[in-house]
Amino acid sequence: MEDKYSSNVLSGGKLGMVEVPNSRLTRYIVLLVVTKVLKALGIFESYDILKVVHIVQFIFILKLGSAVILLFFQKPFSSGKVISKRQWIKLLKHAVFSCVISLLGFFGLTLCGPLRTLLLFEHSDVVVVALLGVLFTSSGGGPSKTRGAALFIIAVICLLLFDNDDLMAKMAEHPEGHHDSALTHFLYTAIGFLGVADHKGGVVLLVASLLLKVGFHTASRKLSVEIGGSKRLYALDNLVSAIVLLPWVIVLSLTTDSKVESWSSLILPFGMIILSVTILEFYVEAICNTKMETPRCARYGAIALFLSALLLANFWTHPLTDQLRSMSKPPQQGSTEHVLSGGVIVSAIFFIMSSSILSSPSKKGQKGTLVGYSPEGTPLYNFMGDALQHTSQSLPRFIKDSLKQILEEYDSRQIFYFLCLNLAFTFVELFYGVWTNSLGLISDGFHMLFDCSALVLGLFAALMSRWKATRIFSYGYGRVEILSGFINGLFLMVIAFFVFVESVTRVLDPPNINTDMLTPVSVGGLLVNLVGICAFSHAHAHAHGGKTCPSNDHGHSHHGHSHSEHGHSHSEHGHSHGGHGHSHGGHGHSHGGTSGHGPPPGSGGGGMNANMRGVFLHVLADTLGSVGVIISTILIRQFGWLIADPICSLFIATLIFLSVIPLLKDACEVLLLRIPPEIEKELNSALEKVEKIEGVLSYRDSHFWRHSASIMAGTIHLQIMAGVVEQRIVQQVTAVLKDAGVNNLSVQVEKEAYFQHMSGLSTGFQEVLAMTQQMESMKYLNDGTCIM
Amino acid sequence: MLPLSVKDDEYKPAKFNLLLKLSGWFRSILSDKTSRNLFFFLCLNLSFAFVELSYGIWSNSLGLISDSFHMFFDCTALLAGLAASVISRWRSNDSFSYGYVRAEVLAGFVNGLFLIFTAFFIFSEGVERALEPPDVHHDRLLPVSVAGLLVNLVGIFVFQHGGHGHSHGEEGHGHSHSLFNGSVNHGHSHGGHGPESKHGGHGHSHDGHEGHGHSHDEPHSHDELRTPGKGASKQILQGVLLHIIADTLGSVGVIISALLMQKYDLMIADPICSMLISLLIGVSVVPLLRESIGILMQRTPPSLDQALPECYQRVQQLQGVYNLQDPHFWTLCTDVYIGTIKLLVAPDADRRWILSQTHNVFTQAGVRQLYVQIDTAAM
Repeated sequence: MEDKYSSNVLSGGKLGMVEVPNSRLTRYIVLLVVTKVLKALGIFESYDILKVVHIVQFIFILKLGSAVILLFFQKPFSSGKVISKRQWIKLLKHAVFSCVISLLGFFGLTLCGPLRTLLLFEHSDVVVVALLGVLFTSSGGGPSKTRGAALFIIAVICLLLFDNDDLMAKMAEHPEGHHDSALTHFLYTAIGFLGVADHKGGVVLLVASLLLKVGFHTASRKLSVEIGGSKRLYALDNLVSAIVLLPWVIVLSLTTDSKVESWSSLILPFGMIILSVTILEFYVEAICNTKMETPRCARYGAIALFLSALLLANFWTHPLTDQLRSMSKPPQQGSTEHVLSGGVIVSAIFFIMSSSILSSPSKKGQKGTLVGYSPEGTPLYNFMGDALQHTSQSLPRFIKDSLKQILEEYDSRQIFYFLCLNLAFTFVELFYGVWTNSLGLISDGFHMLFDCSALVLGLFAALMSRWKATRIFSYGYGRVEILSGFINGLFLMVIAFFVFVESVTRVLDPPNINTDMLTPVSVGGLLVNLVGICAFSHAHAHAHGGKTCPSNDHGHSHHGHSHSEHGHSHSEHGHSHGGHGHSHGGHGHSHGGTSGHGPPPGSGGGGMNANMRGVFLHVLADTLGSVGVIISTILIRQFGWLIADPICSLFIATLIFLSVIPLLKDACEVLLLRIPPEIEKELNSALEKVEKIEGVLSYRDSHFWRHSASIMAGTIHLQIMAGVVEQRIVQQVTAVLKDAGVNNLSVQVEKEAYFQHMSGLSTGFQEVLAMTQQMESMKYLNDGTCIM
Repeated sequence: MLPLSVKDDEYKPAKFNLLLKLSGWFRSILSDKTSRNLFFFLCLNLSFAFVELSYGIWSNSLGLISDSFHMFFDCTALLAGLAASVISRWRSNDSFSYGYVRAEVLAGFVNGLFLIFTAFFIFSEGVERALEPPDVHHDRLLPVSVAGLLVNLVGIFVFQHGGHGHSHGEEGHGHSHSLFNGSVNHGHSHGGHGPESKHGGHGHSHDGHEGHGHSHDEPHSHDELRTPGKGASKQILQGVLLHIIADTLGSVGVIISALLMQKYDLMIADPICSMLISLLIGVSVVPLLRESIGILMQRTPPSLDQALPECYQRVQQLQGVYNLQDPHFWTLCTDVYIGTIKLLVAPDADRRWILSQTHNVFTQAGVRQLYVQIDTAAM
């Protein structure tokens, strides 16, 4: 691990992270993952061994074994420079420290169990350093690092508080076997004094020793350079610490009687632990650190290690202990200790997330996009635009901002409140379902959640449509509303289709429906949805009354009909993805607008807010769904007409289908760049007016389309007489068309000769599209006309 | 004052005769390679679905019947592609001044959405089943899914052959491997319980996207700037290929899970397989959706991103041009770009020269339809 020193220097010197293509690194990653899995195995096994072997003996054997192997590989005495006396002393200190740390680590292992130890103790230095950087320095590296640190701390707290793996009562008595030395006894009583379960003490111990370990690694870098390489240091360190531990072990083995009857049966597990935990991991990590960047290595390693630990914790069945114990003493009831619990899983997930966040390289120097190289050859970065926007967005602030935005405008506020209501209802339903253990309620709750997705989509669209236009989306994001309405409509249609199919099969074969629970739930759903309908239809009225747009009187008397599947879903076959309902509103939508007087431009739209329409339809559908369910429930209960349910849903599906069609049609028209129907007449008369403007000969290629509720775009080519002032014409045409509602117009004015060229070459847009050749010729001639 | 307007309405037939209309549609379907392929594949699929339906009714198996309904649903994707490829060839009229070319993009979008829906449904079903594996009757599972795979393989072959063989000339055929998944996943559905059946993924043809007969295949040797456009279409091809691979994997997955269930009774194989499939579908659809949403939202074409700033610079360097405002560039359909800009020029500038030069600059970048509004700066 000490090898990080050199690689840190290298990667720290680079401006950005140089991403080596993944394919080349795959084998290293695989190697790393395999090693980590083996290491996890080794730790699990050593936990078992530690139950029978004294911890000091264990560490001694570990150090000795790895020292022997490392001496064999590294040959620290025969190669490299001679080590001076002062260095030997340093080495001795180093070894003592490393002994203490491994002692603490393994003692933590005996307390916490292997899974928790792996989660806590095996963090790579990079992660811990980043964590400490966030906690104790002001420039921690931005919000993402802060998030990572928060996750880390939450994970630790999770382990401390929510991990009820050991019963306090059981822990009250000393587990026999661990505390037979003065040191461990002291530690144990210290922890016991705090009055917590021993694994909690172990967590604290492990965190402390993790910090120690990192500090120790950092401090030992200098020594490793002096001695000549981290590998040599590691070998020597193992040897020296084995020697340091030797007297203690001798004293121990003389004073206490060993619980192990046959050391020979332990040779194999010890060999495996030595290989996987110390030797293999050390080498592989050294290799990976040089081949990949340290952070990446740390990330993959951590993920592999934690996941394999989780898996192993599930399947590990103490084979070794059971076997050993059967020789030594009757098995204790300990086989259930340190099992998986919810808290551990949550904290493992948090640990994985935090270590991948914390180990990701800080983005300094990467914020800008490379735009090129200066004459001197230094890279130039562009810090404008997106890069700047993304840097300083912290999560809470983002949430606060978007909440503010949501509440700013009427539409999104409505959707938001209703979404909250809906979610609350859903969660109540889910909790109640879980509590009473009713599958029907739970699955209905999930369907409700699914319905909420339409609301979320609508909310998001309402927000997004207010974004400012950017260089890329030069007309702004207003179209999102239409797209979201379209998607909602499609969604409803698919649902209607499925409900239809479902009810057809049910008509053929009516299932037995358990109606007990239906009514209260569907009445509740109906109430919620009724609130929604009130809110949204109010929104419509509001939008229409308040927002100009006199040209169309949309009645918007939607009535919906919908049906929801909730009812269905409770049938015995658990699913039926229910449809939901939806209804149609009558959509007054008479784009009949066409009131010939030029309406004020701007928001003109015949119910242009497709987004709100989509959401409204969805809510209506749900409402009608619950109405349908209630009716069919009553029918079934009173008269036993099982067929009522499928027929009801058949009816509802058809209604949904019919009601979505207008919405889809409108949205399609906008998306297909149709001339907005509600201003078609005005446009025609405006175009006539344009032709009558003095000096205008004719026009061609006039295209008008609605971009969003507030933007009506148009383009036109004008041919004018030779002697006319172009600027005046442009202004007049713009004014005329603005009256007709076009507020984003560009007029290209051409004098006669040029116009003939252009119009002769491309007689209409269709040809341009259809015939490539013509396009080609037009282009050539265009080139030819440049001198004109 | 001769040419008042170049629009022509005379294409609209005065009276609609249903038969005439049908035969007209039929002819227009057959006239283009894309829609012909789509059509045949649709027929193949429909016949498969009908055979399934009639067999289901005959043998009174609810599973088969509901599966065939799912097949029909899958066919809607194909149908959408087919309709789009026909509609997009309609001529423009007064209301639709750009014609109906956008239908292709829209169809691609719709198909992508359908795929996402399906993937979602399959996924949730898979989760549900993973928690509580149902007792799937796998007697008939294998034959049906193999048959579905065969149908889809035909589909792949047809469309891939088209798409890749003549990569440029014919870039257009919608690869609507739609059914692909559709039929395959049905495999699952034959579990005895009708309602439990899982409607498999379906296909989808994003013909919409690729379609477009007009693939500008001419090599514009002289305009260098156009190359980005080609890169983009290559990307589409790549997406299609990815999608095909995902679909194939999906159907293979179904067969594998059927085998596993049959041989080893590994009931968990089925939900896991379907979750994997739905993930694959979801991932493979994302690029398609992103692209079509970009087009529908009038995004500046990604292929022009690089070229445009350079063009602006060149236009601004023209003599007499003060400023360039309100540039809007967007994609009408694949490879057809439309742009509008406003130029602020000096009062004494030569407007005609500026106009033609501007057109020239942008045409080289690949923008065919340009509207340049020239305003005189107030002195």
